[in-house]
Amino acid sequence: MGAELGKYKACVSARSTDKEILKHAQDGGIVTSLLGYALDTGIIDGAIVAVNKEFAAKHQSLIMRDNTNWDMVEPWRPFPAVVSTKADLLAAAGTKYNISPNVSMIKEATRSFGLDKVGIVGTPCQMQAVRKLQLYPIGARDVGAAVALAVGIFCMENFPYQSILQLVEDHAAMKMESVKKMEIGKGKFWIYGKRGQVVQLPLKVTHKYEQPGCHVCLDYVANLGDISTGSVGSPDGWSTVFVRSKIGDSVWANAMAAGVFETQPIEKVKPGLELVTKLANEKITKNKNTLEARKTFGVGKALRSPYI
Amino acid sequence: MSKVVEISPTTRHEGHSKLVLKVNDQGIIETGNWCSITPVRGVEKLAVGKTPEQVPKIASRVCGICPIAHNLAATEAMEASIKCEIPKDAKMLRHILQLANRLHSIALHDILILPDLYIPGTEVMINPFTAEEPVRTVAKRIQRLREIGQTVGQIAGGDCIHPRNTRVGGMYRNCSEQAKTKMYDLAKEGLVLAKAQMDFMIAVLRNYQARESVTVGGMKVALPKTLGYHNQGYLATDAFYGSSSLDECPTWDIDRFKEVRPWDWYMGEMEVSLEEPRYPVGGTTKLGTKVNPQMEACTGIPMYDGQPVEVGPRARLVTYKNYDEKGTVGQNIAREMEYTDSLYEMIDCIDALNPDGKVVADYIPDGDGSLGWASNEAPRGTDVHITRVKDWKVQYFSMLVPTTWNFATCSAALTGAPWQLAEVIMRGYDPCVSCATHMIVVDEDNKLVAQKLIQ
Repeated sequence: MGAELGKYKACVSARSTDKEILKHAQDGGIVTSLLGYALDTGIIDGAIVAVNKEFAAKHQSLIMRDNTNWDMVEPWRPFPAVVSTKADLLAAAGTKYNISPNVSMIKEATRSFGLDKVGIVGTPCQMQAVRKLQLYPIGARDVGAAVALAVGIFCMENFPYQSILQLVEDHAAMKMESVKKMEIGKGKFWIYGKRGQVVQLPLKVTHKYEQPGCHVCLDYVANLGDISTGSVGSPDGWSTVFVRSKIGDSVWANAMAAGVFETQPIEKVKPGLELVTKLANEKITKNKNTLEARKTFGVGKALRSPYI
Repeated sequence: MSKVVEISPTTRHEGHSKLVLKVNDQGIIETGNWCSITPVRGVEKLAVGKTPEQVPKIASRVCGICPIAHNLAATEAMEASIKCEIPKDAKMLRHILQLANRLHSIALHDILILPDLYIPGTEVMINPFTAEEPVRTVAKRIQRLREIGQTVGQIAGGDCIHPRNTRVGGMYRNCSEQAKTKMYDLAKEGLVLAKAQMDFMIAVLRNYQARESVTVGGMKVALPKTLGYHNQGYLATDAFYGSSSLDECPTWDIDRFKEVRPWDWYMGEMEVSLEEPRYPVGGTTKLGTKVNPQMEACTGIPMYDGQPVEVGPRARLVTYKNYDEKGTVGQNIAREMEYTDSLYEMIDCIDALNPDGKVVADYIPDGDGSLGWASNEAPRGTDVHITRVKDWKVQYFSMLVPTTWNFATCSAALTGAPWQLAEVIMRGYDPCVSCATHMIVVDEDNKLVAQKLIQ
């Protein structure tokens, strides 16, 4: 292998210096701080992020508006939203183990939201979509040039909402409303309740609930983000950060100079890049097998590999 | 002894049309026929049986120059038929969208007519694509004005060519405060550019008007002072936006409208008896070619009070602002004067827009089959769409588009002009031919369409 971590200019372990952000953030608060910094300095004038139901119901003008009956919307259902203030950004902090169609908002962000410089957060597949849209802007006139910062997040696989419901309500025997945080780490799926209870599910249990579409993806560390980040490889409360593109490099350098992050060399932290590499290879190997297996699907013709 | 000359295809406008001209020995047009030869789109037939949501989207695809007018006229015709009132902010967004399209279209038209005109004080005809000054500055200004129009259209309408934000019952979404500010800034920037562009164009047009003669394909042609004059009257439904049968006082009357077939109006079969190989580009049609405007024209001839009328910027200015200059130059100047008008109006609309306001009607009826029409003042004239919606299905749909109105009027205006300038007169109407080509409905007894419509 060797290409499993993609191209990057620098890799560090980092966390936000903003205590308020760390309180809400999943790990090191990298995405929230970075977008907050980019908003403050005018690198972007708005960002597409995943928000929760409560925020979406309160700020309906920031999401794709329809006649949603908010009483019927389940808790922990993520909504892509266009936010342009730090306060709104903070409300979106934290991982939602769910599909949030952020790219669906990218065109609207440049239209009725009037953004000229859009920041977007997404999983590796969403980064692929953003880059593809920039390369072939069919039905997306003037959108590509407006993407000013794309932050990718590490992703092994994602879950449809029904899966999360099953995992939380059946396997963990908790109500969705009472969940405070969800996390995948140390080989387990952790669910923290609002009353302080913690449930851990072995990942073996969660596998069958994964979204099947994720099983053809060969990207673990968001190779196409300007900057990509995730908890894997860094100690608790810290995040591993890959600085990949020129844009990413300049934004990261400026953010560092402004004291937005504190960092440690990735070589010095445990478990370090070794674990990231291991998991990336695991994902790639496993999913390559799916791709191989899919060649035998279908009547007379195999399902096409998305990588050819 | 009159001769017949044919210019086909005509250039520097949207669509496919031709001019068949009967000229006297001095080359002055006695009878001119300007007809569309774009194949029929069939949109009106496609629309039948579709939902009112689909039809404006299809109608918009008839052409890419004023799709916004088609989209809005069709949407509002649906609303008129089902009797649905839309919220004020949705109306404001539609106004902004429509004015943005007008701004873009005027700028585009400048590029199309500039090659007919001269740099004042010289014998140099303007090539808008040259890198030399002063033309390059003008070309850049035109492109920026187009960009401003398109960007504002994108914000208000979702897309600047085929807007996706419009819907029956209002708009899909309002814009954000940030977007409102952006539109405002763009409109303000546009206003400065538009003023400069308007002044430039009017100066160039006045210079053209003052000339004794002009050169066309190396031929020196005397320029008549009455170039493009006609006595056909004007039709406009609003200074800016339009009207619909839902209005308290509609400004268009379906009873005064009727449509005749091209074979009742245009000249019959003739043979080309004058050929001019120097005429740009590539000369006129070869001697001996058979022409038959009656059979070749693909449009109906709409009439208002029994006569073809002129629609477009001059019609709007004559009807609502006491403008009184006739002729091709007067028409082009009227168009230039709409530059700043449309931006001032756009700024007013942006001011009036509340980004937190509701943009979809609370109740959207399914329609009871009653006749509804809506007109929208497209950049090049009144665009009227007529429909009947019953149980959320379109039963009847008809488009009376700007250039259809203008075909017969322009044909009348050709009389008395040197044939070499026929295209200059035609371009004054900023023709957009492909949408003008549409099916006309006559029953077996050749009964008039309008009468049939309102039965």
